[in-house]
Amino acid sequence: MQVASNYIDQILIFSIFALSLNLLLGYMGQVSVAHASFGAVGGYAAGYFALSHGWNVLLGALVGALIAGVVGAAVALPALRLSVEYLILLTLGVSSVLLGLFTTFAQLGGTYGLIGIPPASIFGHQLLQTTDWLVPLAVILAVVFLICHRIGESPYGRVLKGIRDDDKATLSLGKNVVLYKVVVFGITCGLAGLAGGLLAGFNSLATPSQFGFDVSLSIFAMVIFGGTGNLTGSILGAATVVLTKPLLEWAVSLAPETAALWRLTLYGLLLAVLMRLRPQGLLPEGLNVLKPATWRPSRSTNGSDEIVPTAVAAAAQEWETRLEVGESIAQEKQRERNWSDAPVVLEVTNLSKRFGSIVATEELSMVLRKGTITALVGPNGAGKTTVFNLLTGFIAPDQGSVKLNGEELVGMKPNRVANAGMVRSWQDVRVIPRLSSLQNVMLGVQDQTGEHLGPLFGNIPAVRKCEQTVRETAMEWLEFVGMADFANSPAGALSFGQSKLVALARVLATNADVLLLDEPCSGIDTQWVDAMLSLIEKVREQGRTVCIVEHNLHVVDRLADHTYFMELGRITDQGTFQELTNSPRLAEAYFGTV
Amino acid sequence: MLAVTFETVRQLIAAGIVNGSAYGILGVAFALILGVTGRFHYAFGVLYTLAAFFAFTLFDRVGWPFWPAAIVGIVITVVMGVGIEAFVYRPLAARAGSNALLAVFVAALGLGIAGGNLIQIFWGAQTHSLLGISISPINVLGADIINIDLYSVIGGVLLVALLTCLLRFTGLGRAIKATRSNPEMALLIGVDPARIYLVVFAIASFFAGFAAIMAALKYSVEPTMGFRPVVLAFVVAFLGGTAKSPVRVFLTGIGIGLIETISSIWLPVRWTQLVVFVILVLYLISFSVNRAVFTRLSAALTGRA
Repeated sequence: MQVASNYIDQILIFSIFALSLNLLLGYMGQVSVAHASFGAVGGYAAGYFALSHGWNVLLGALVGALIAGVVGAAVALPALRLSVEYLILLTLGVSSVLLGLFTTFAQLGGTYGLIGIPPASIFGHQLLQTTDWLVPLAVILAVVFLICHRIGESPYGRVLKGIRDDDKATLSLGKNVVLYKVVVFGITCGLAGLAGGLLAGFNSLATPSQFGFDVSLSIFAMVIFGGTGNLTGSILGAATVVLTKPLLEWAVSLAPETAALWRLTLYGLLLAVLMRLRPQGLLPEGLNVLKPATWRPSRSTNGSDEIVPTAVAAAAQEWETRLEVGESIAQEKQRERNWSDAPVVLEVTNLSKRFGSIVATEELSMVLRKGTITALVGPNGAGKTTVFNLLTGFIAPDQGSVKLNGEELVGMKPNRVANAGMVRSWQDVRVIPRLSSLQNVMLGVQDQTGEHLGPLFGNIPAVRKCEQTVRETAMEWLEFVGMADFANSPAGALSFGQSKLVALARVLATNADVLLLDEPCSGIDTQWVDAMLSLIEKVREQGRTVCIVEHNLHVVDRLADHTYFMELGRITDQGTFQELTNSPRLAEAYFGTV
Repeated sequence: MLAVTFETVRQLIAAGIVNGSAYGILGVAFALILGVTGRFHYAFGVLYTLAAFFAFTLFDRVGWPFWPAAIVGIVITVVMGVGIEAFVYRPLAARAGSNALLAVFVAALGLGIAGGNLIQIFWGAQTHSLLGISISPINVLGADIINIDLYSVIGGVLLVALLTCLLRFTGLGRAIKATRSNPEMALLIGVDPARIYLVVFAIASFFAGFAAIMAALKYSVEPTMGFRPVVLAFVVAFLGGTAKSPVRVFLTGIGIGLIETISSIWLPVRWTQLVVFVILVLYLISFSVNRAVFTRLSAALTGRA
């Protein structure tokens, strides 16, 4: 019983490690090979306070968790902009520094660590036997699981998955990616600190080797085994890694020392083989053990054929009938109305940007007017996409101003620009492949209650209510673009044309006044172009302001109320499309010398 | 305490260069792999250790003369490095697509863990000596070192010089550089990246094998001998730049070696091991923030101009 409960206790403790790493790695896509060293922060804190201040180890573990959380959030700051290989290296360095610090201080026992930590006690009951630990550890694990589940499988977790698969797209939808990263690093490292404190209390010692680099790697392995993005999987992974040793001792009757070596060898090889055969782990993301319906990977029910879904064509019709009678006359009037009568929504003045000696944009001035479509045309390399990057804060301009309804946008981060009411789409679509079409569009909805930790844990009914509204809004926009039938298909399984429609619905769902659409019709079949064009026209009818970058002059001809012509970072001509096509400049740029 | 004699400093510099050239040679190898193939080759440490163990077994147990044993040890390492790329990393990367780096890292981690423990299972955990070359003291520019130190520094410099010439003056070298900057474009001009990757793994494994034999001669052969030098190689490769010239990476390695030894003048020895990682973390912090700082700085300057 003691032997069995010893292993169960270990599984419970390492499940906490694995769950928290999974939240970081599986949900937010941030690699850390330093997780055990954050456990060391908790473990040493618990041990130190217990030995020198007589604290209860469990209290020390909580304080240690707090310290580890703060250290983790601090580590997140340099980690913000790093790619995977640098993140591996950074966390490896952090692990070495933390463990090195612990071995350096004599007060922490040097290389021997802290030994003889007094037993923990709960409500006056001392936890002396391994069996005494079972219930407290199980309760703590349950709480940790609920915390991780609440964060991961919620509107908050949807943003994390967005960051994991495409942080730029998530940023462009108005999510504060920096804050999410710092908070989640802090929380997960804090939970690792808690697990480390418990481990130190359970073993009555805190040593450097207990939290060494190989322990970090085994926690990493647990998450990979169980399945990244699947919390139940992490517990399964922890059990698998912990139990291989007793299994080897019992089944092959190896000596404990040899069994330890073979255990590591086996799980190392398993890791390599697993990556080849089942990279998603034992329990893939989205699989719920209790719901057999999720056991098979979801496939798009209708298949992602390249033919325009009838729903897309029908959507145009349907909206036609939904609009009141006389709307088409109003539409014509609006068409006729002089573009310059519409009020200015976005005013760009003297925007300049140089990259070294290369002029990307020079003294660029333009206006976008309410309820109109403005086109930005020009040859390849004219700097059209750079203009979108400058307007939305992805690139900081050297000088100039961008005013949205009088509010200065220059200097704002991309997420703040999106919050202010201007959202861009991407030439390369950037839908979040592992989220469903519906979830992609839901990601676009602004001001969600469930995207803040306070209400997420403090006001569950409000979060549920908001989530319901968000789902309905998103579904409406999916219906608008005619993709409602594909609501539950993973966006990665859609055809290019379909994913462009989902991306459009996502941009529309932000409710932004100004939409910057980067080549909305490029790379899709002609039959799709027509559907896309009528959708953009309907967006204009709703009174939104649209700016498109487009190469297809037929598209510009049909959509644009006003056209800017751009060459080498400067706007060299403007007017209606008809006026421009008569200009020799544009003819030369597009068709060669006449 | 600060009364450091010139003698001590000279001795520390010599030791720093000797240690640093070992870090440098491993850093060059790791940077070559990461820069060209994009594989985070964590199993590098195991290959390093294996080279020493094979050479030790052939020399000490089988009774071969030292040099053939050492060369065969290195060749086995090269074959294994190329094999890992061909049979583990490449199929994995092809399958994982955009997640290739993480998938390869996890597999490499698995191989590294498994390999390290297999070595302990087959050879035991104890430390062995590789007495291939009789050690004799030698005086270079007033600093006392041993002959093996001199060989390893000279060997390291030669290898780096050869690699630099290979990259600069031969068709193969240009093909490697083309693959490093853009594999798809390289394919278009008739370079097969898959073959180049194998060549790169062969060169890097050779470097690792050489460094391992030298370390084995100077210190000892033991299962954990690969961990620290290889972690330092990661650091050197990143600090030096994975797409930069081998000379620069090698000099970075020597710099790290010097920092490590010279900091012992002011710091207790147990702290010097940390210094390198503190520098690494600081570097990564600055690497992470400098883009923001630079853009703001250049904006301020051009605004004023």
